[in-house]
Amino acid sequence: MGSRASRGILRNTTFVLFVLVFVVFGMLARNFLTLGNLQVILSNSSYIGIITVGMTFVLLVGGIDLSVGSIMYLSAVATSLVVNDLELSPWLGVVACLGVGLAFGALNAFAVTRLGIVPFIATLVTMIAGRGLGLLVTQSVQLDFPDSITLLATVRLGGVQLNILIYALVVAAAALFLAYTSWGRRLYAVGNDPEAARKAGLKVPRLIGSTYVLSGVCAALGGFVSIAQIGRVPAGFGRNNEFDAIAAAVLGGVSLFGGVGTVFPGALLGTVMIRVIQAGLVARNIDIYIQPIIMGAIIFFAVLLDALRNLQLKKLGRRNIMKMET
Amino acid sequence: MNTESRPREPAAGGGARDPGPAADGPAGPGPSARRPHARLRRLGRHLLLSEYFVLYLSILYMLALGPFLPQLFAAQNLADMVSNIWPLLVVAIGQNFVLITAGIDLSQTSNMALTSVIGAVLIVTSCDPVLFSKCPLWGTFLTEHGGPLAGMALGVPIAILIMLVIGSLIGWVNGVAVARFKMPAFMVTLTTMMFFSAVAIYLPKSENIQNLPHAFNVLGKGRIGPVPIPLLVGAGVAVGAHLLLSRTLFGRRLYAVGTNPVASTISGIPTARIITRAYVLAGFCAALASVLYSARLEMGRPTLARTQFIDIVGANVIAGVSLSGGKGKITWTLFGVIFFVLLANTLNLLDLPFYSIDIVKGLVIFGAAFLDVLRTRAAAQGH
Amino acid sequence: MHASMEGRGPSMEAPEGAAFQFLGVTKSFFGVPVLREVSLSLRPGSVLGLVGENGAGKSTLMNVMGGVLRPDGGRMLLGGTPYQPQEPGDARAAGIGFIHQELNLFTNLSVAENMFIESFPTLRRTPAIDKRRMAERTREHLAQIGLDISPGALVETLSPGERQLVEIAKVLAMQPRIFIFDEPTTSLTAKETGLLFEVIRRLRTRRASIIYISHILGHVAELADEVAVLRNGELVATGPTAEYPVPRMISCMVGRDLKSIFPPKASAPQEEVLLRVEKLSQPGIVRDVDLTVHKGEIVGLFGLMGSGRTELARMIFGVDRYERGTVRVGNGLLPRGDPRAAIERGMAFVTENRREEGLLMNVSIADNIGLVALPEFARAVTGHLRRRRLQEATAQKAQELHIKATSYEAQPAKSLSGGNQQKVVLAKWLLAAPRILLVDEPTRGIDVGAKYDVYTIIGELARRGSGVLYISSELEELLAVADRILVMNRGELVGQFERSEFAEERVMRAAFRQGDEVRP
Repeated sequence: MGSRASRGILRNTTFVLFVLVFVVFGMLARNFLTLGNLQVILSNSSYIGIITVGMTFVLLVGGIDLSVGSIMYLSAVATSLVVNDLELSPWLGVVACLGVGLAFGALNAFAVTRLGIVPFIATLVTMIAGRGLGLLVTQSVQLDFPDSITLLATVRLGGVQLNILIYALVVAAAALFLAYTSWGRRLYAVGNDPEAARKAGLKVPRLIGSTYVLSGVCAALGGFVSIAQIGRVPAGFGRNNEFDAIAAAVLGGVSLFGGVGTVFPGALLGTVMIRVIQAGLVARNIDIYIQPIIMGAIIFFAVLLDALRNLQLKKLGRRNIMKMET
Repeated sequence: MNTESRPREPAAGGGARDPGPAADGPAGPGPSARRPHARLRRLGRHLLLSEYFVLYLSILYMLALGPFLPQLFAAQNLADMVSNIWPLLVVAIGQNFVLITAGIDLSQTSNMALTSVIGAVLIVTSCDPVLFSKCPLWGTFLTEHGGPLAGMALGVPIAILIMLVIGSLIGWVNGVAVARFKMPAFMVTLTTMMFFSAVAIYLPKSENIQNLPHAFNVLGKGRIGPVPIPLLVGAGVAVGAHLLLSRTLFGRRLYAVGTNPVASTISGIPTARIITRAYVLAGFCAALASVLYSARLEMGRPTLARTQFIDIVGANVIAGVSLSGGKGKITWTLFGVIFFVLLANTLNLLDLPFYSIDIVKGLVIFGAAFLDVLRTRAAAQGH
Repeated sequence: MHASMEGRGPSMEAPEGAAFQFLGVTKSFFGVPVLREVSLSLRPGSVLGLVGENGAGKSTLMNVMGGVLRPDGGRMLLGGTPYQPQEPGDARAAGIGFIHQELNLFTNLSVAENMFIESFPTLRRTPAIDKRRMAERTREHLAQIGLDISPGALVETLSPGERQLVEIAKVLAMQPRIFIFDEPTTSLTAKETGLLFEVIRRLRTRRASIIYISHILGHVAELADEVAVLRNGELVATGPTAEYPVPRMISCMVGRDLKSIFPPKASAPQEEVLLRVEKLSQPGIVRDVDLTVHKGEIVGLFGLMGSGRTELARMIFGVDRYERGTVRVGNGLLPRGDPRAAIERGMAFVTENRREEGLLMNVSIADNIGLVALPEFARAVTGHLRRRRLQEATAQKAQELHIKATSYEAQPAKSLSGGNQQKVVLAKWLLAAPRILLVDEPTRGIDVGAKYDVYTIIGELARRGSGVLYISSELEELLAVADRILVMNRGELVGQFERSEFAEERVMRAAFRQGDEVRP
């Protein structure tokens, strides 16, 4: 069956896919893979990338967060309230933005860990009711942001755009956190075997809850980066971004079943891959109606691979009882 | 897998009856001062766990809002509400099958949209080139003179049949992904939802397809004798589904699979096949509901039912169909649908903007899910 | 002297010097006593070998000690002071290191991370893990066991033996004073077992106290200073190992239990072969198993925990797949991994854990009983169930088997006692009129009366011409019920005894494979 080959592929899906994507698009559009082009893609991907980092945390413990798009919107609304209506400094706007993300992340955490509600329903509710709340406040009116905010997008440090820097910072911080702190390693443990984690004395509800809070904060931060770039927040701001984030994470090798995956290189590659595909489709003038169809098919494929890998792992876990040769 | 294991301690609160105190909450009946409190709690628990909880809730809700909304009881309004029940009931019954297997089908809404578009394309009597010349089906399937089955004698029944087949196929894809490849149900159906929704919008390039033949439109608002056709369809599906669940081999096996798939497989039940069939039924029901909705709207609508997922799942869950599987009755779905139709109607009458309606519906689903958790815990404790 | 000594003997010191003591510990599950007033002392700086058949109570006793279960009666003393753990954390805090047989490792983390999961060493004043120190200390702990693997290796890349040693190292790292080893060598190679013994001897030198549970009596004889034998929840013998060579251990474990009553044996095996298994193999699980079951015959399958009997039954029935070999029912070859095919050919499988695999606990008794035979009550095209006929059939079956319940249709299976639950499982399969019945530990965890009923039911089934493969860890049960007894050990068939040859100790010896010694 070529099982060893297939096992090898399943283990390194991310890299395989990444190479594939680049090769395919390199062939399809000659002038696509320029450095300038890639910089633009990366700059536009920053906000999605940040949200994907947050989503990765939740996926690692076997959960899911469908509310990130709505949290983006809510935190944008809060920022607008502070900066436009209260006319306070943009830094306070940032604080309000992240605060809202934290609050709704905590709400998700409470619903999942304390009330015992299934993650996708809990975050689905936050998604729907959250956007409703945001729209209630804005009355569906588009929000515009003053220069004090949009100028932040033009800032360059060392020739690199601020939003790319922020993204890089978030990725670095998350990667270090997951690899080098007790809390981070314990997240992997919980995702691998929640029962064993409980028996080992780990505070499982707190660990799981923390991922939703982090996801909320990342959603808010991503929202802010996006606001700074486009300067306005329409009623549909953030819509469908949760799906992009999940797709990016799963393509990047983060498993829906928990315990598997990294922020770096995994989620990073996944984000870039998704955006490259999307940009490539645009560059090739693919019908705008077909783009989401192709994206949907790609994501289905990624989820299928994840499920197959999970089945493989389960099979390898069967016990041996016979005396083994030395 | 398990090798020989020792007798295990029962899970907290559960397990076979022991010659010992029942596994019920804190200490037994205390001093008489506590009794009325305990009785009230027991009454509350009984109400919450009752099969008719949602029915009581609906009645209470109507009575509570009645004074503020006298239009609620206007004859036309009541008639509207009743006519809204049937299509929702049909699609919610499909979801019921999937929920019993401890799964979920988020793609029913896009299933409805796609089949609506496809059905409309097949039988549309004439198309305005201004609107449709850009769409991919122009020239092949769609012309100024309508779709391929326009004007044909059996065009409408054939189109409906094709809708049902396509809806079932979508369900089949979901089923195989969940049952064979063990992909997580919510993720699979979320993905297929986005995929088929995109296809539904692509085919007519976001345009609604109007000018459908009367033979089709009559299904939405027509009557056979005094009886509205949607009622016939809805009642027929409800009765059929009820019989399927309660009186057939498939129904029994469905409950078993949702309760304990491992024990079911060992007992010879074709678990994967049963799960797949549940999703096929969900797809079929979605397509059938799409016929009713499209006929009523007199158009093929690529965004049909887009926001209705909450209603479909919420109606089931609030009425007692558990997200963890193994439970579900058609009567419950009916009660849940009545509640959600009532809710939507009152929110409309209150002239709330759509986003406020979303907030309310979100909270309702939250309450429903929480209720489900409470019910599951109570069942584990042997109530 | 063959006296049964209850916790006292010339080798036992006065209680004040004991590292740990059980005093009259009692425990029951669902009204079935599993530990009966067990009193046992553990001397400091010694290894106590705890032996007994499956179900004798060893694991339960250790779970009580480890804070996993609470005793119904009696008490425990740790170093002379009362000890009442409420949960496993308490036992750990008290200095008791419990090395379970079921591993609690995180496969996606490294060895070092698994060892320090509860408290990672951190770089001074930062939340960052000090990976270097963690690796160093892990290497030290691994060196103590003599395990030569990298601290950074992911657990999922380790062999079962290496994983077990890592689990042991993990417990060692907590530096407990008292150790419980529960079947520690099941996945270990001979070399790894030697390493383990080294560790245990070293611990003993350092005045740690060790309880060593194993069904490999040769190991116990070699390692332990004292031996304690449990039988049916009672401590029936204890003393220095020198006084308990393996044959004496076995005879203490076996002893006749006057309480069990068996119905008279009614059936006799006939010529016709119903089930034929040839050279069934699955790497790491079973090897070259041949067996036959004749019409009217009850074939007992005996062996210790981990010998592969349950795995074998699961493979024959089709729940799991196997790599080589064949299973024939009558003359036809049975396809692999297909329980439905097995059921169609007349096979039935009563699994060993009725709660997880045998019953739908929240579903009514009647619905449970009807589950396998359901298709027989359905009309061909529509699938419509003849409900009244089904109801009558299930009620009749339930009454035949004396299942005690108020309403078969209304009561859920979980409301029944263990014995009645087991009867529901049997009723479910019997309703399908099987020709071959595989039963796995059918009388585990049920009361004496129900046991008698189960023996009668199975006996009657055989008398009517079905063949039975009866897996059990209770040897006396098989001796009373079976026509032939097969013995499995570590995935292989190691013995076969006809009814005429039945003798407890011979069978036991085969199961314990006398001569199993380790040369480190």
